[in-house]
Amino acid sequence: MTQPGNSREQSLIEAFVGLADTLVDDYDIIDLLDRLASYSVTLLAADAAGILLADQQGTLRVLASSNEESEMVELLQLQAEQGPCLDCVHTAAPVSVPDLTDAAGRWPDFVAALDAGAYRSVHALPLRLRGQAVGALNLFGRQPGALADADLALGQALADVATIGILQERAIRRSEVLSEQLQTALNSRVIIEQAKGVLAERGELSMDAAFGRLRNHARNRNQRLSQLARLIVEGELAPGDVLLAALAAQPAPVDER
Amino acid sequence: MAEAGAVAQRLLAITRDGAGGAGLAGQICRACVDGLDVDGAAISLLTESPSRETLCATDATAARVEELQFTLGEGACVEAATTGRPVLVPDVWEASREGRWPVFAAAVAEQTAVRALFALPLQLGTINLGVLDLYRTTPGTLAAAGLRDAMRAADTAAGMLLGLRTDPGDGQWWDQSWASHAEVHQATGMVIAQLGVDAEEAFARLRAYAFSQDRLLGDVARDVVARRLRFSDEMA
Repeated sequence: MTQPGNSREQSLIEAFVGLADTLVDDYDIIDLLDRLASYSVTLLAADAAGILLADQQGTLRVLASSNEESEMVELLQLQAEQGPCLDCVHTAAPVSVPDLTDAAGRWPDFVAALDAGAYRSVHALPLRLRGQAVGALNLFGRQPGALADADLALGQALADVATIGILQERAIRRSEVLSEQLQTALNSRVIIEQAKGVLAERGELSMDAAFGRLRNHARNRNQRLSQLARLIVEGELAPGDVLLAALAAQPAPVDER
Repeated sequence: MAEAGAVAQRLLAITRDGAGGAGLAGQICRACVDGLDVDGAAISLLTESPSRETLCATDATAARVEELQFTLGEGACVEAATTGRPVLVPDVWEASREGRWPVFAAAVAEQTAVRALFALPLQLGTINLGVLDLYRTTPGTLAAAGLRDAMRAADTAAGMLLGLRTDPGDGQWWDQSWASHAEVHQATGMVIAQLGVDAEEAFARLRAYAFSQDRLLGDVARDVVARRLRFSDEMA
């Protein structure tokens, strides 16, 4: 949620430093988008955030989510068929639904799923590239309401930074890089879902908590999410190691001074 | 939504009857050669174990490239298999000069007419179904549309090969919707942990269970994720 004063400024600095960090080194689209989703929730008036990118078929696919429960990921995926995200990607412009009750006629399945998740509003911001949108950042709110102009501008800035990040590395040299990276990222996402399943089963955790352990372990070791996930799924890293180590290394709560 | 590419469309039209893994791979390779700006194609299965197998090669050149990679243990296809990323080599001669797979690139340049090589992994998560190798005798990248089409074809081909390998006898091929269902993958992970099997086997068990209960795979997956259903060795 939006925080007042210095704390928000601090979070903002952390967000841009964190996003920039993922760009410096060898990185994965998934790690970058995962950070974008988390920062969107920290910095903007959103209770959940998710990112979809268009695959080779033009179908929107979930790449990252601030909440990794099955229901949330499925709700996001539903937007491949209907909802503001599709319109946002087609028009490369933000699409806002301040109150979902007004949109029930237009997107019945999506609105029903939002309702089941107790969300009341949704805003889709495009990930823009040369006048087109390659995907969208979706912000979900538990209260109805428009997104404040400042939040809209900041959300779009975060989305733009992430899009630049997706492309910056080899884009200048090679035009096929987006297809290639996207293909890899979509498969990484499948591996991450499988790894969440392994950890959820072994640790008796929810999918969201399982993802939290995976993310902590990866960040503490400066490892890519997809690499760590692969090791877990292929049985080369015992799930217990991740479950225990990640527990011990839970980040301390942010100092609110 | 955008239509699937021409090659992927043609793949989807392949019928089930009698096609084993090699037969299916052959049809996939031929569809790629017909529909893409390439001269030949091959599908090989590379695993950690020494059991490497070329399922299909459309001509002697394609077969030779596969053979070289297996013998030398390096090359675009090997890299695609180990990294899970597409490996696109617009000019093998240049790769040879750059020192990328030096022995392989030199051997290809010397022994074959291949100039461009595109290796696309066939995979679903950690499940490795092989690598689709496409070659051309002229250098250059695949045009953006061609590349997209090739990648769509690889996705479709991976699904079909997986469908065949995990077939419980339901007569179904491959359901495009499986790939985008997070719960199917999460359930696969849970079954990996429940049974101590690998991802392909876990997926096969889920599919077999769905078939035996006359239910949809997605519904069974949802039950597993919600912990209403657990897999045990006795269930098989």
